[in-house]
Amino acid sequence: MLKKIFVWFLLAVLGIALYASFGRAPFGENRVGPTDNPATVSAFYLKNSAEKLQTANSVTAIVVNFRGFDTLGEVTVLFLAATGLASILYRKEDEDEEGEHLPVRINLPASSIVRTGAKILFPLILLLGIYIFVHGHLTPGGGFQGGSVIATGFLLMFITYRRFGTNHKVMVWLESLSGLAFVLTGLYGLIKYGSFLQNTPDVGHLNDLVSGGLIPLIYIFIGIKVSTELTNVLDTLMNIKPKKR
Amino acid sequence: MVISPIHYIFVPLATAFLIPLLQKLYKDAARVVPGLVLFYNLVISVILFRRVMQHGTVTEIIAGWRPPFGINLIMTPFSATLASLVSFMAFAVWLYGFRFKRVLKGGEVMYYEILQLMMIAGALGIILTGDLFNLFVFIEITGITAISLVAFYRDRHGAEAGFKYMLLGSLASSFLLLGILLIYTQTGTLNMAQIAQKMPAVDSGVKVIALIFILIALGIEAEMFPLNSWAPDAYSQAPSPTSATFASVLAVAALYALIRVGYTLFDARMISGFLIVMGFLTMLIAEMAAFSQTDLKRMLAYSSIGQMGLAMVAFGIGNETAIFGALFLMINHAVIKALLFMSGSYFIYNLQTKKMDALNGIHKRLPYVSFLFSLGVLAIIGFPPFSGFWSKLYILYGAANKNMLLLIIGILSITLIEMTYYLRVIGRIYFAKEKSEPASHKPSVNALVAMTALALVIIILGIYPDLISGYLHQAGRFLLDKQAYIQTVLSMR
Amino acid sequence: MKEFQEIFLRYHALLQAAVYGSAVLLILIGLYAVLMKKHLVKIVIGLSIIESGVNLLFVAVGYISNHTAPIFSPGYEHAADKMVDPVPQALVLTAIVIGFATTALALSLVIRLYRHHKTANIEQLKSLRW
Repeated sequence: MLKKIFVWFLLAVLGIALYASFGRAPFGENRVGPTDNPATVSAFYLKNSAEKLQTANSVTAIVVNFRGFDTLGEVTVLFLAATGLASILYRKEDEDEEGEHLPVRINLPASSIVRTGAKILFPLILLLGIYIFVHGHLTPGGGFQGGSVIATGFLLMFITYRRFGTNHKVMVWLESLSGLAFVLTGLYGLIKYGSFLQNTPDVGHLNDLVSGGLIPLIYIFIGIKVSTELTNVLDTLMNIKPKKR
Repeated sequence: MVISPIHYIFVPLATAFLIPLLQKLYKDAARVVPGLVLFYNLVISVILFRRVMQHGTVTEIIAGWRPPFGINLIMTPFSATLASLVSFMAFAVWLYGFRFKRVLKGGEVMYYEILQLMMIAGALGIILTGDLFNLFVFIEITGITAISLVAFYRDRHGAEAGFKYMLLGSLASSFLLLGILLIYTQTGTLNMAQIAQKMPAVDSGVKVIALIFILIALGIEAEMFPLNSWAPDAYSQAPSPTSATFASVLAVAALYALIRVGYTLFDARMISGFLIVMGFLTMLIAEMAAFSQTDLKRMLAYSSIGQMGLAMVAFGIGNETAIFGALFLMINHAVIKALLFMSGSYFIYNLQTKKMDALNGIHKRLPYVSFLFSLGVLAIIGFPPFSGFWSKLYILYGAANKNMLLLIIGILSITLIEMTYYLRVIGRIYFAKEKSEPASHKPSVNALVAMTALALVIIILGIYPDLISGYLHQAGRFLLDKQAYIQTVLSMR
Repeated sequence: MKEFQEIFLRYHALLQAAVYGSAVLLILIGLYAVLMKKHLVKIVIGLSIIESGVNLLFVAVGYISNHTAPIFSPGYEHAADKMVDPVPQALVLTAIVIGFATTALALSLVIRLYRHHKTANIEQLKSLRW
């Protein structure tokens, strides 16, 4: 009973604190300012995304270029989560002699509508995902969004077909190589242009498919990495065989 | 290619991605490769540290955009000292543990080494970054790796400790994000130097709320009372090299983040009272809890929390002497605690139990390890001529300069408590009647080299502290000078 | 267009309460779940809700009235002055992914705990007190 009162009190205080402090930054107020003479960081990003980087999607420009280091950290977090997951759920008896995982999921068998529909939808979902991350610099979307869509497609197949598994070796290779590719692109920037993750000077024209220099390339690497990683995580979480009696 | 701070981060990162591939070619790649990388980190530490001492700071731009529009890395004397400390400790722990028997089973070694390596990279990122959101990302990296490592062993307690840590860590990140967002709405930027510049103009009500959120978040990570209930479990359930890393690397990085945000972004005067009070409470409760422990690793864990509390108090006192003491304490704590965990681990391994009443008379079986352990104990209590003596002395000097008599009495009483429970253990090791069967696991050569190296550092720094005192004074001075920090970063090209 | 402008100005306080308020409400609901619920999975869901609330708050803070998405599509190449703040959106991207990683890890720990204790009640995690 005492705990309940304490918790309600805490929540009330927190709610008021949050609402009052964020209320100081009113909803819809323009805190960015004019972009021709940037006074804030956001205005600078908007101006230079179009001019210096010729990238239509300024959020992509920020994520991959201006604050690309954060994205590197984020990709690392994903990789570590997948590694940590595998480490925590590791069981010796799940592997056979070559170390391959044998997928046996314990969900109920799906109806024939779902089975047929899944087979049709799966390649379409993959296509959509690839489209999203290839066009990350032109339309809303990008590596993470596209990767999630692809992972959703795999999730559909996992739920529908109990024996559908992904080739573990291929996943590991793709994960490591795409992550490495991202870091090496940064290294390329360091060696050739002077700072880690710096973009090429030749950035093409706004709204072309090939524009923004290294930005679409990096997003493709991220897209591959995120999709393989998320699929791997789903695979690991769903392969929970009950312990043998 | 010039050696620059980014090497600290991208070399371990690239290696971590490579290890799963290398593992397929060469079975023992996961054990050996991290050692090479950490040795490289150690080498560049020396190079970059000398550069910082010559030029005052070493800065680097990422992605070609100068701050505040891009992210920057900055090595001040303070962060350079800590980065070098972390690199040294990381290498020592790797050296100690790379043939660690309990983790010998095939596939798991790879996971363990990748996670340990990335924890180091995450900690280095926290220490080197000049951007607030980047700080958040690196804190998450260390958090994720730490959780996975805590839950590494198959027995059930690891998972419980990991879950507790994960719960508090998650709350910490949410609070940190809220604080960062609040600061962003008021200042329009995420660059630490520019925030420091614009902070005085921010409305003080909002400033206090943002500060509270961030203090809660970083307090959870830095093991401040009452948010540190995750720490004893995490330290005691993790594999011993990981516990050593927690004490030396993770705690140091978390405390750095707290001090950097408090001193540079906000104002040292705002948080000094808070740090003294909370730090003292942390110290008091942790040391009293350590007194009643029967489990060796848990006792060491509580002692670590106590030392962190003392460091917080020292930073709270805030004058140059106390800060010098605090920096020295951070170095000492890292080295000494790691040594205690490392040697203690051999006791546990031989006796197959963590209970301290099994330690009776073990000095006959493991004479050298017992000697190292006792050295660590004497150092951490603060006996001369070991390094721990100087840090405590200077902190007390600093308190005396500000006439904080009560605080001095408090710290000395807590030191008495420390002496009691630590000397009790030494008493058991040397003077008690043996109860157990002969041990069969002597430490391997690499572990002995690592532990001896740490012991030598403790002795050398104890006898000749002037070896590093010049650097520490410079670090302290730069830390207190907010304008210098702002100037250095915002004038980068 | 003009009507939206007027409506926005007149009901500004209400809109702010709705948007900021729902984000704050999500955070509070999530926190309640974390503090009061006994089932491990519910606690993890609570954490996830807190993160959703925080992310929503991020995006809400970036909004500028009458401005559009920060994408220079054909026809909008010079509309930079009429765009919302892109920085919080970029930060949220990172925060969402990190939140996912934490949740995945949390759930794996729950699975491990369930395997050992055959129950998912947090009351039995008491073996590590003091």
